[in-house]
Amino acid sequence: MLEVDRLCVEINGALLLEDVSFQLARSEMLCVVGESGAGKSTLMKALQGLVPARCQRFHFEPANIDASEAMPQMIGLPETRWVMQDPLAALNPRLSLGRSIAESLHGRGYTKAKLRKAVEKALEEVELDPAFYDRLPGQVSLGQAQRACLARALVAQPQLIIFDEPLSALDAIVQKKVAQRMDALRRETQTAYLVVTHDMGFAAVYADQVLVLQKGRVADYQPRTTFFDSPASPYSASLIEAARSLGALEGTL
Amino acid sequence: MSLAIPIMSHASPIRSFFVWIGGLTLILIVLLGAGLFLTPYGPAEADFLNRLATPSVSHWFGTDHLGRDIATRLLFGTFWSLGLSLMIATIGLVIGTVIGLIAALSGRGGDYALMRLTDSFFAFPELIAAVTVAGLFGPSTLNLVIALSVVSWMKFTRLARSLAVALSECDFVIQARLNGLNRWQILWRHLLPNVIPSLLVLWTNSWSRTILAVSGLSFLGFGVQPPQAEWGAMLLDGKPYMQSAPHVMIFPGIAVLISVLLINLAGDLLRDLLADPR
Repeated sequence: MLEVDRLCVEINGALLLEDVSFQLARSEMLCVVGESGAGKSTLMKALQGLVPARCQRFHFEPANIDASEAMPQMIGLPETRWVMQDPLAALNPRLSLGRSIAESLHGRGYTKAKLRKAVEKALEEVELDPAFYDRLPGQVSLGQAQRACLARALVAQPQLIIFDEPLSALDAIVQKKVAQRMDALRRETQTAYLVVTHDMGFAAVYADQVLVLQKGRVADYQPRTTFFDSPASPYSASLIEAARSLGALEGTL
Repeated sequence: MSLAIPIMSHASPIRSFFVWIGGLTLILIVLLGAGLFLTPYGPAEADFLNRLATPSVSHWFGTDHLGRDIATRLLFGTFWSLGLSLMIATIGLVIGTVIGLIAALSGRGGDYALMRLTDSFFAFPELIAAVTVAGLFGPSTLNLVIALSVVSWMKFTRLARSLAVALSECDFVIQARLNGLNRWQILWRHLLPNVIPSLLVLWTNSWSRTILAVSGLSFLGFGVQPPQAEWGAMLLDGKPYMQSAPHVMIFPGIAVLISVLLINLAGDLLRDLLADPR
């Protein structure tokens, strides 16, 4: 569904991403891991069209984009949504959760009633009470705010959701709940997920594929089933080893 | 299950202090209205047999050099001193905010041009600019308003622009952009509601400073003209009698002091009430 071939991002003469290629099928989850500065955020921004990028081939089926050389702008594509790392920064503190979520349907010409219904359905999908429609971000917990962000992505019924460390701002128990809900929704709605994460434990449980970035290049790219047993590069081996020593992978493999 | 979460559930000592300030302001407004209604004198009603009388039961704050009741003149002066300065501060707020937000939204060139324009207005000291306008066009209330408005909008521009620029980098604005909102919709939904609280606090601050400017200029003879009962003009009236009848100057002075103080404290209250809901 999404096919990116040799994606490069160059900003002010610095090559931030070099020859990054991957494919993502419908309802698949790709976890992108790597240390800070490896280019994970740049990859997300390039996919959103927030930074200039180029690639050999770019194919995004739902939006009928099949391009080569220049990277097409993904901004405003109804088929893609972005869930950010810090839910409180991603929500306007003076806008109710419902109105923030409804913004995702901007420009679709929904009536007020239809809009409200769609938002309430999305709230239910992420296991939030419809009463949360009128709450301000400051009046809910961090986990609830992140679910509202998830609802904002889901309400547009996108084909692809890009997650930027969706769990890192949450505590362990909430992390688990949100992660399970994310995964269940992915299967229900057949949405593809591209998840940038530090959390190897999350990748070990939920990912279909794992892409390891190191200094802007792909250090490893394989299905999860083989990745944790036979990492292709010493770097991904050390990542797995580090996660294992912290106990993050216990009971997951 | 709908559980409204009370935002202000506990009363801190500071909070109750501000409630007191708010209450006091309200009481003063009521007293002002009652005074205007009940006073037996007019603001320009002279009584030459009773000049420079000290405070008494019939003239609570005494009379001035023309035998006019100072208490009555102070009450009527409220409209000039507080009303004019509120108007000037509001003109500054509106003009400044509009220019600041336009600067933040327009590209690099427009932003640069508008902000350098703002800087150039900053170069004129407030009072000197007002005195210059009064000198060029003659002293009058209208010229005072124009002069002080011309030099009062820049701080709103700077604040509005810097806040809007900072907000434009925020994740929620990026989300709005990705969702296809145009810049005016982003301005209306996301920037303005987050910019206005700070601007309102600056507005109260600007109001109290403008009271001082209006009174100061009237005292110098450039602003509101006698026989209007503006507080600064009343101070000017009392100046020749400062030694023999100090009450003629003391009461208008106290009026300026109290109103500036109260408005500043009310501004602090406003800041606390409008603080980021987080």
